[in-house]
Amino acid sequence: MHVPLSWLHEYVDFDLTAEELVELFSLRSQEVDGLERLGVMSGEVVVGEVIEFGPHPNADRLSVAKVDLGGQQVQIVAGALNPYPGARVPVILPGSTLADGRKLKKTKLRGLESYGMMLSERELGISNDHERILLLDGPYEVGHPLKDYFPIGETVLEIDVMPNRPDLWGMIGIARELAAILKTTFRIPEPTYETGGSPTGDYDLRVGAEDLCPRYDLRRVSGIQPGGRAPLFIRRRIYASGMRSINAIVDATNCVMLETGQPIHAFDATRVRDSIVVRRAYPGEEMTLLDGQTRVLDEEMLVIADEERGLVVAGVMGAEEAEVGEQTTDVLIEVATFAGRNILETSQRLGLRTDASGRFERDLDPNMVSYAMDRVTGLIAEISGGRSASDTLSHYPDPARPWQVPLRLERTELLLGMTVEASEAAQRLELLGCEVQREDGKLSTTVPTFRRDLRREADLIEEVGRLIGLENVPERLPGVPLPGGMTREQRKLRRLRYLLAGLGFVETMTYPFGPARWNEGLDVQRTLKLRNPLSAEASNLRTSLLPGLLDTAARNRSFGVRGGAFFEVGRVFEPREQPLELRDAALRYRLLGDTSRGDSDGDAAADLLIGVAEFQKVTGLYAGTVRASVWNAPALTAGFFEVKGLVERLVPSATFEPRPWTFLHPGRSAAVLLRGAEVGWVGELHPETAQMFGLEGWPVCAFEVDFAAVEPDPTPHFALFYNVPAVSMDLAILVDEEVRVGDMLDTVAQLRSSILAEARVFDVYVGSQVPPGRKSVALNFTFQAEETLTDVEVKEEIARISGRLREAFGAEVRGG
Amino acid sequence: MTEIEHILRLFAEVERRQNPLEEAQKALNGLEEAQRAQDPLKTTQRALGTLEDAQRNNPLEEAQRTLEALEKAQGVQNPLEAARRALKSLEEVNRLVEDAWASIESAQTLAELEQLRIEYLGRSAALTEMKKSIRELPVELRPQIGGAANRASRSIEAILEARGAELTAVEREERLRAEAVDVTLPGTPYPKGSLHPSQRVIDELVDFFVGLGYRVAEGPEVETDYYNFTALSIPPGHPARGMQDTFFLDEGLVLRTHTSPVQVRTMLSQEPPVYIVCPGRVYRRDSDPTHTPMFNQVEGLAVDRGLTMGHLKGTLTAMARHVFGEAVRLRLRPSYFQFTEPSVEMDVSCFVCDGEDPNCKVCKGAGWLEMGGAGMVDPAVFEEVGYDPEEYTGFAFGMGPDRMAMVKYDIPDLRLFFEGDLRFLRQF
Ligand SMILES: [Zn+2]
Repeated sequence: MHVPLSWLHEYVDFDLTAEELVELFSLRSQEVDGLERLGVMSGEVVVGEVIEFGPHPNADRLSVAKVDLGGQQVQIVAGALNPYPGARVPVILPGSTLADGRKLKKTKLRGLESYGMMLSERELGISNDHERILLLDGPYEVGHPLKDYFPIGETVLEIDVMPNRPDLWGMIGIARELAAILKTTFRIPEPTYETGGSPTGDYDLRVGAEDLCPRYDLRRVSGIQPGGRAPLFIRRRIYASGMRSINAIVDATNCVMLETGQPIHAFDATRVRDSIVVRRAYPGEEMTLLDGQTRVLDEEMLVIADEERGLVVAGVMGAEEAEVGEQTTDVLIEVATFAGRNILETSQRLGLRTDASGRFERDLDPNMVSYAMDRVTGLIAEISGGRSASDTLSHYPDPARPWQVPLRLERTELLLGMTVEASEAAQRLELLGCEVQREDGKLSTTVPTFRRDLRREADLIEEVGRLIGLENVPERLPGVPLPGGMTREQRKLRRLRYLLAGLGFVETMTYPFGPARWNEGLDVQRTLKLRNPLSAEASNLRTSLLPGLLDTAARNRSFGVRGGAFFEVGRVFEPREQPLELRDAALRYRLLGDTSRGDSDGDAAADLLIGVAEFQKVTGLYAGTVRASVWNAPALTAGFFEVKGLVERLVPSATFEPRPWTFLHPGRSAAVLLRGAEVGWVGELHPETAQMFGLEGWPVCAFEVDFAAVEPDPTPHFALFYNVPAVSMDLAILVDEEVRVGDMLDTVAQLRSSILAEARVFDVYVGSQVPPGRKSVALNFTFQAEETLTDVEVKEEIARISGRLREAFGAEVRGG
Repeated sequence: MTEIEHILRLFAEVERRQNPLEEAQKALNGLEEAQRAQDPLKTTQRALGTLEDAQRNNPLEEAQRTLEALEKAQGVQNPLEAARRALKSLEEVNRLVEDAWASIESAQTLAELEQLRIEYLGRSAALTEMKKSIRELPVELRPQIGGAANRASRSIEAILEARGAELTAVEREERLRAEAVDVTLPGTPYPKGSLHPSQRVIDELVDFFVGLGYRVAEGPEVETDYYNFTALSIPPGHPARGMQDTFFLDEGLVLRTHTSPVQVRTMLSQEPPVYIVCPGRVYRRDSDPTHTPMFNQVEGLAVDRGLTMGHLKGTLTAMARHVFGEAVRLRLRPSYFQFTEPSVEMDVSCFVCDGEDPNCKVCKGAGWLEMGGAGMVDPAVFEEVGYDPEEYTGFAFGMGPDRMAMVKYDIPDLRLFFEGDLRFLRQF
């Protein structure tokens, strides 16, 4: 809402600078987005009369005028061509400053002195017209300061009106609000007009969709002088309020809308066929609106029509058919209210939001209609010489009435946390337009119909609190009576993130929706889709964090990065099979929070009804050169065992099983198992996947593990240790190349040796030193017991181990 | 006084008081006396007697052997000769110690020193030889000569050790000098990862509220229409739904547009008192330089008996000071949210300029930074979750950790947060 302060001053007295007003309004009522200044900011503008006007001798595009400023004649060089001898013009004197920052001086233009400047409408803040000098038409006396006739400068407050305050979409509401803040009074214009024009009753009014139209009033004003422009004082208000002047009648309706918040429509009565009909649009009904576009309407939309055709999409925009134009002398004025939600939906479906629809969609007060009707009638009569009909057609079957809301002082003080005097609360509410009866510790409040947001006690408490000032609420801290804290899982998440960052990973946060490639690349069949993605591309909910990280790596690659280590902890989403018979129950749950199945089987699980399974995953990615080489350390590039080692660090009891995932290298990928259950995967990216994600040629290794399976900091358990030396023994074993070292280690573990403390693989060799098809695996065993072990004991155990390996894998023991 | 000087003095004393010549003479006399007392003739006779006994077996050979032994004994135990040798040895010891002292002092390497050790104390060194020959000396002379020799050995050992320590130190110094590295070369790199800037702020906020006694509550990101809107007094058709630019999924499902449904879920699952903080990702269908379709929120909810707006204000002030420093102030402005009444916006005074700098980069000269919304929980929300609004009051608040990170770390563009650009992320 644009609030020209000169206008506001007419309704309420205040002695505040614009900046103070901004601050006060922000702290007590609505947010103020900014201040706009128009016209002349300081100095003087006087009415001058052009004595001579002619071309500049040295410049084609300039003119020279001699202007009488009342006892003083000055020469002014101008860019415009429209002044003529005898015309009255506004002349700004040297030393004055314009809103755009220009400061006027006596100057020379192309060799000729110029004293001040003749002003255009734009320079005076009246309209956007800068082609011509404003010619003053009317009782303007030469030599008089122009500000005696209308304000020459304007400061406009840009107020961001909250959606629950449609009353603040008009100057009257703003004036009332300011008066309540300042504890003062405000005044509004008393509409006056004369009747005697052609009767409204020549037309019929039929309202066919009452649910969408609580009130519809129609009044005829005739005998209007055609083709008139609105006077300056109206045009400058419209311009300062951010609208465009059209013609006298439309400007008058807009001016009253800006004043009351109530949109008004005027039809050219001669173009309306017999009746005004308020009805739903016919399916497929077409209407060409004032923006020149033809729109197809549907039955949910309300139109104002005559007997033959649609004239207006109700509350949104008019069609060309019955619009007021240059020839209009007879108008039908519509002042109505419509169902806000319907207007909102219509304007959304048409993609058309107007000053009117923005107001109607908030549900306007039908009781404002009468005042707005009288006000606009009076204004049209005043500026266009029309006469009002003495009758008004009105459809208002169910008049809105004020309602009562009790306010307990005790409750007020409890919610606000400060003491509130009953008299103070009562006064503030009265200033807002309420009637207040004081009873014991209670205020019985009658709320006016223009404050539909004040329905409950809490609503009144908010009003009292903000008008007293929230800065007066003393600060306190609650004494929380519970032990708070993070859960074990929440602490685990924190540790996990810090651990991965400590290990060199960069924490990322990627979008959970992406292109089809995301799921196709992972060979995922069923996914959840957004119905209204920002782009058709980004419509698939992720089933893995990998694609987002791959895209991230690829984007960095395009920035010229050589590689990196990324991790993310986040949710993935999978659709859950939902039995058909649960479909209705699911909808009731989703829309109403109802978990009953709707049959005799009792409640269904909420996660089944929601139909979506969410899992938290931790995913790590090594791509390209993770760390560049330095003078004493080689580069770190993505490799299977680097990434596997990370999984082993995160899931200490994990086991690994070769598994050919379609998106991973078939020979370099494994399932991560925890106590036999699959909890994730680890592997090198398949070259095809790498190509799909723009990472071809880069080594890329990744892992993804269920967050639930991760143990970054397992709970320690003390194990007894012995203070006698351990014995270390090496064993080199020849086996077939296919034999898996992991199986060998498992086999050794299954021996359950009572003295084997650790088995470590320290070399794996394939090459000329061993027979073809065989590999040498070098193992180191550490033996430890309560007593010092004898050679014999150790040798026996080694023999048992090598015996078992021979048996199980055909191993050939080469030395020990 | 060094060992050497001590020994030299001892020798001088020996020489002065126990002139080895006199000693030798005395020893000689003693020997002659002994010879007289143990007349060799008698010995000879005894030997001859033995010879005769032996002759009964092989008299001639036995006698011959005995004679030879006798002559040998006499030769060896020629006391005079021995005394002379002893005297000479003493002079030799003196000279040796002086020699050793000089050469050891001038030795330049540990190897050279080892050579000198062998030369003066080794198996074939003069001093060793002399010690070996001590037992050939008359008994009376042995202590003096033996003592002098031992003292000489010890003094040589001592000086060897002293010089050895000196040379070891010198050689270690040289070795260390040779081992010097260019300390300006960079050290071995350790991995350095980073934490997302929004997460850093979320962690800080969570820590703060956990410190106050709050719990951390979480909920699904795919949310039902009911929890995301209706339960929060935003029924179907309400204009606030349009304002939130929701992503829709299957009918009745949305990507949550705020973390408020977590509050509803928590209230539905427990009785008051409730003190929770709800961090999480939320989604709105909005993408421009200042909006991303995904962003983070941290909301909080407190429900208890007697909670007031004063408690809300005190809590938010403490929170702002925790994040932005002790000097900041909090300001509440009236606002409008569906699920709170009264509703407020919270501003924090600029932690950089405190409103003093009209050109401040952080607050753009406003002096205040918008932190988020808050308010007293709307009674309708309490009714929806089955709490008695007459018995309980509560407050709720919501903040944008992304925007807080922007002001805290001076980040110019929100979009950077979710693009995964390493040049950005590595700075945190
Ligand atoms: Zn600042």
